[in-house]
Amino acid sequence: MIALAGRIGRWTLNALGACLRVSVLMVDTVFWLVVGPIRGKGLRARSAVENFVDFGFRSLPIVGMICFLVGVILALQSSYTLEKWGANRFIAVLVAVSALREMAPLMTAILITGRSGSAITAEIATMVVNQEVDALEVMGLNPIKYLVAPKFLAMVLAVPCVTIIAMFIMVFGGFLASVVVVGVPASIYIDETIRSLAEKDLVIGLTKSVFFGIAICWVGVYRGFQVEGGAEGVGRQTTSSVVTSIFLIIIIDLVFTVLFYFV
Amino acid sequence: MADFTDPIIVVEDLVAKYGDRTVLDGVSFSVRRGEIFVILGGSGSGKTTVLRNLVGLMRPASGRILINGEDFTSMSDAERIDFRKKMGMSFQESALLTSLSVGENVALPVREHTKLENSTIDIMTRIKLELVGLGGFENYLPSELSGGMKKRAGIARAMAMDPEIIFYDEPSAGLDPIVAAGVDVLIRKMQETFHLTSVVVTHEMESVRLIADTVCMLKGGKVVAIGTLDELERVDHPYVQQFLARRPDAEEGGDSSYARSLTGVD
Repeated sequence: MIALAGRIGRWTLNALGACLRVSVLMVDTVFWLVVGPIRGKGLRARSAVENFVDFGFRSLPIVGMICFLVGVILALQSSYTLEKWGANRFIAVLVAVSALREMAPLMTAILITGRSGSAITAEIATMVVNQEVDALEVMGLNPIKYLVAPKFLAMVLAVPCVTIIAMFIMVFGGFLASVVVVGVPASIYIDETIRSLAEKDLVIGLTKSVFFGIAICWVGVYRGFQVEGGAEGVGRQTTSSVVTSIFLIIIIDLVFTVLFYFV
Repeated sequence: MADFTDPIIVVEDLVAKYGDRTVLDGVSFSVRRGEIFVILGGSGSGKTTVLRNLVGLMRPASGRILINGEDFTSMSDAERIDFRKKMGMSFQESALLTSLSVGENVALPVREHTKLENSTIDIMTRIKLELVGLGGFENYLPSELSGGMKKRAGIARAMAMDPEIIFYDEPSAGLDPIVAAGVDVLIRKMQETFHLTSVVVTHEMESVRLIADTVCMLKGGKVVAIGTLDELERVDHPYVQQFLARRPDAEEGGDSSYARSLTGVD
């Protein structure tokens, strides 16, 4: 019983410690993004652009491909139920609403976690192991400013941008499957899609994706700096970064879904 | 040569801990301006920890570090960053940023801390690389260099901001004798040319003989001897003599105690 209490206590302390360290990281990052440039300490804009291209543009082929296929799947699965009611024209509604509000932001976030969240962790962890982070500090360069701030800015912009494109591709995938496989007339499908969508759906999807981006970057960076040991430690942190990140994405998704359900 | 009156670094009663484990236990010494000060010690003696405290990568549990008369340990982060521009450090594994070319590595501190024109920075970079014998290598990536060349590039980067003090962590570790001697000569040349205070952490007696003005020997987190190499050779301390003569520890017990330690049976 005492052992259990002790374990819960230690677990709580660890969790609080992690929260504290993540908060310090957040405050530092925001400082270097907002206050730093105002005080004339500069922002590594070129680095941010390079990261944006890497996180966003280079992820388009895989995100596009996956989202197209998910669109097809959504359409065919919806048709399975709707067909019984002779309501195949409503496939359009289901695909459009679930793509914008849920599936496109989620799939994009998970893919970018696997592609770039893991890369961020591996990069930072390797730099810690090779003493490159120490070297930056000794040179008087703040690692948060130099490494984290540009990545953070790039990620928070890249995820929503890719998500918008993913939304269109997913809807297009659903359209193609419905028209070609199920046999819904194209004009009806387009009409239903336009009629069913509200600005609110787009706003909800994009709001979520911004928070997904924040989570991916911070988990990636935090796990990277946590590294201990050599190459093995880098591997362990990378795995744990992806797992934590996906877990957080689902939690954030749940929170927003509940929130918007009542709003 | 070394100015024997004016200490540039004064360490007073430095205590450092990793968690509950005390790594440095009351280390005190002073480094004179312009000398090569070698911190010598075996593995686990705490010599690297001294260096990490000196460059501010670690904050001491207690004690003071005065650099140019200013207390480095009680500075705010912003003051430290400013202060660090006067220091350079060469790392054991050179710690070049692998994503940047050698030239960009050397230019990085200058680019970030000054508002010089790119063309000026390029010239400065080339001068520094020339200085360490790496002229013409500015466009190579660190992964394309040998161990000795990386070490030289690391020294060029440490020199980029024209520091007053340069710290070397195990400069000859992992290098063959010829390349290691070359790095030693380079350390001496830097000190002579720029009147540069150099603090070198090492366990290599060979390089100590080549470069040291003052040697500070550490064991178990404490200073056991300090002075010139000649003075150290006259110190009547078993560990110092053992280290200088490169004698192994006497084997304790006999075969039976070894067997007992393996089996765990008394």
